[in-house]
Formats: sequence, C-alpha cells, structure tokens
Amino acid sequence: MFEPDSPELGHPRAIWTGKTPRVQAILSRHRPFFVLLAVLLGQLLLLSFQITRERNVSLIRVWAVAVFDPIERSLHKVVQATSTAWRTYGGLWEAQQENQQLRLELVADRAQIRQLSEQAAEARSLRALLDFKNRLPLKTTAAEVIATSPGEASSAVFIDKGSTSGLVTDLPVLTPEGIVGKIIAVFPYTAQVLLITDPSSGVGCMLERSRAQGVLKGTGQNLCQLHYILNDETVSVGETVLTSGLDQIYPKGFPVGTVVQVKEDNTYKSIVVKPVATLDRLESTLVVLKPTSREQQALSFPLHR
Amino acid sequence: MRATGSSFQRPTDVFRVNPTVFWVTLLLALVLQKVLPLKISLARFFDFPLLAMIYFALVRRDEIFGIFLGAGLGLLQDAFSHGNIGFFGMSKALIGYLAASAGIKLDLERIMGRLVTAGILVFIHDLFLQVIKHALLESVPPFKPLNLLISLMVNVALGLILFQILDRFKQPA
Repeated sequence: MFEPDSPELGHPRAIWTGKTPRVQAILSRHRPFFVLLAVLLGQLLLLSFQITRERNVSLIRVWAVAVFDPIERSLHKVVQATSTAWRTYGGLWEAQQENQQLRLELVADRAQIRQLSEQAAEARSLRALLDFKNRLPLKTTAAEVIATSPGEASSAVFIDKGSTSGLVTDLPVLTPEGIVGKIIAVFPYTAQVLLITDPSSGVGCMLERSRAQGVLKGTGQNLCQLHYILNDETVSVGETVLTSGLDQIYPKGFPVGTVVQVKEDNTYKSIVVKPVATLDRLESTLVVLKPTSREQQALSFPLHR
Repeated sequence: MRATGSSFQRPTDVFRVNPTVFWVTLLLALVLQKVLPLKISLARFFDFPLLAMIYFALVRRDEIFGIFLGAGLGLLQDAFSHGNIGFFGMSKALIGYLAASAGIKLDLERIMGRLVTAGILVFIHDLFLQVIKHALLESVPPFKPLNLLISLMVNVALGLILFQILDRFKQPA
C-alpha cells in the first residue's frame, strides 16, 4: 500500500548521513511503515500488560514464557544431553576399565578352573591307578609321562622314573585300561617307553573268546595289527585282545585292545586292533617291576574286568 | 488543482479540513459512538470514529498522520470501553495508515471510489479487530460473519453521508 518513492508523500524526506546509508535510506523511505509497526507494537505491549490469561497470569508473561520456554527447554535438553553423554562416556570408560579388569580375572579364574579340573582329572586318574595297583598281584611303581620322543611317527614316551627307582629295560608299562608298552631305555631318573603302536613293537596276545594266539604289532598310527591268527579262527569285531604272556614281557591276561576290523588273507587273518589304553593322551602309568615266580603264577588269572 | 480522470488515478492534491471542524468531528464521532446505541439498536454497528478517521486520512494523504490519528481515536474508544486498551488503537492505526496510503495512490474524490475504499477499510478494520481479539484474549464471543456484513453495509452507507458533509469543509493545503 505504501510507495516510498512517491512524490506525493507530502513530507520532506530526511537526509541521513550516518555510517550505514543503505539501512538509513530504507528506514527513511519506509518511515510510515516503521512508524505503524512501532505504534502497533506499542499497543500490543500495552495490551499484553493488561490481559491476563491462564490462571490470571498477564499476557506479557505468557508471551515471555512462550518465547523463552522453547529456548530454555532446548538449553535444558542440550545440557541434559551433554550431561548424559558425559556420564555415559564416564560410565563407558569405567565399564571398559572394569571389563578389562574382569577379563583379566576371568582369564586367571579360567586358568585356575582348568588347573583344578586337571588336578581333579589327575586325581581321578591316580585314584584309578591306585585302585588298579592295589588289585594287581604285581609289584608296580607309578610313573608320570613327562615327554614324548621326537619324530612324527615316533610312538615312544618318557616317564619320570628311571634306574634309581629300580626300572630296567623290557619292563611292561600299564594303565588301568590296558597295556601301554615296554621300557626300551633306562636313565637314572627317566625311562623311555616304546608304545605298542610302534611298528617295532611286538606283544604276545590272544583273543579273549577263541584264545587263539598271535603277535600284536604297531602300525605307526593309533592302531595295531594282530598277526598269525589262522583264517579258520572265528574272530568278530569288538572282541577283546589280551596279553598271552608268551613274550616273557607282558603279564598274561591284560587287556590290549579290541578288534575293529577282520579280513581273511593268505592263511592268516588280517585283524586290526585298537588299543584300549589312550596312548595319545597318556599321563599316569604303572611300571610292572620284575615279577617274582609267585607273582608270575598269580598272573594266570585274567585281570581285566 | 487536481488531476481529472478515472477514480483510481494518482491524485496530486492534498487537502486540509478546518481545525475546528476536525476536532468537533472527532469529538462528535466519539460521543455519538457512545450515546447513539442507547437510542438506536442498529447504531451498535456504527463506527463514527473509524469513518471520520478514514476521511481525514484519505484527504490528508499522510500516512504518519493517519497512523497517529487512528491510534489516538482507537485508544480513546478503548478507554471508553470496559475492555482492554489497545484493540481499537491497533486496528485504527492500521486503517489510518492504509487509508492514507490509499489516498496517496488513488483519486477517491468520486463516490464509487470512496464507497469501495471505505468498504474495504471497514472490513479490514472489523476483521483485524476480531483476529487480534481471538489471538490475544482467552474468551471471545464467537465470530459472526453476518455482523461483519451488517457493519460493512451500515458503515459504508454512513460514510457516504459523512464524507459528503465533511467535503464541504475541506480546502486545499
């Protein structure tokens, strides 16, 4: 509605000489409009002081609150968010520290548990070994496996007893499950045991049911082969193989393994036997000391259950 | 003195009204506004101060003058009312500005031009008043478009008469 440049305005145009001539020119050109705004605003403020709303609160206060409330809310939210973020950060940092500490404790605890489990397992193993030793009518000595012989195909281990404990070569080594092998080398405090799975090993054996006798030889793996069992013999898978005592090393009647495969071959059967002793995880063993003649007689009874 | 042509041609003349007539008119407008509705029920739709203000702003063609005249009359009207002071002041200040602007831009010496302009300004006045009341007050009587229409028609008719009377007292500035 207003045309600032109109020559018909009828009032002299003010000459502005301020530092912001553009702003001043605009103000001067639109002076009536700004006067109107000022008058309206003045009266609006006047009204706002008079009018009361919302439980007798003056309108100016309502407006002031309406204007400042969002700012205050925003500020409050920012402060709250910052505070929360800081607390969260602090909490995370503490949690991270705690987590690290707990991880360390967990590792230690797990190690302890593992150690205790191992000790428990070892205790069980030793108890079984002790029971076995007590049942055995032979003089034995317990020995711990402390090392294996180097070499990929090696089937020999070292035990923690040697000549000082009365060990000599060719003594049989047993576990409660069955025979392990024989001592092939003796040192003052250690001895080397050749496992029955070694190809150079030979054990006089017999089948539990048919009592047919043969020789068990290692294959270099976890299995053995029972030789010299005639094709006429009846051998079934799962049958137990016992020591025959004919090799003059292993006492008679000790479990050696179970038949896992039977094939007929030229004259003799091809029988694969799986040792009953867990040879790949040996820990505790019993070394049978040189049996006396009376002990040798007692071994005529089968020992396995 | 004045360019002739259509009613909406840009005017060149500025008029003044005798100061006595000016002040008497304003005084009468305010007094009539107060007393007439007691006698004539239709007079509650009259807005003498508004019509007087429109007339003086139109002929004076000075927006600042129109603003302060409107604000002053409106504030007096507010003061006479039992409501809050400022509603009429605001609306009449706006109308004073618009009337003066219209006076600057348009030649409103012809009757149709005046009628249309007065009608538009009355409408804007009433509408603006309703808007600010609804915006600011908590409890306002409901807006009635029929009242707005009656006010528009009555005041336009009244303005037609008033402007003719006041024209007799105007003189070039």
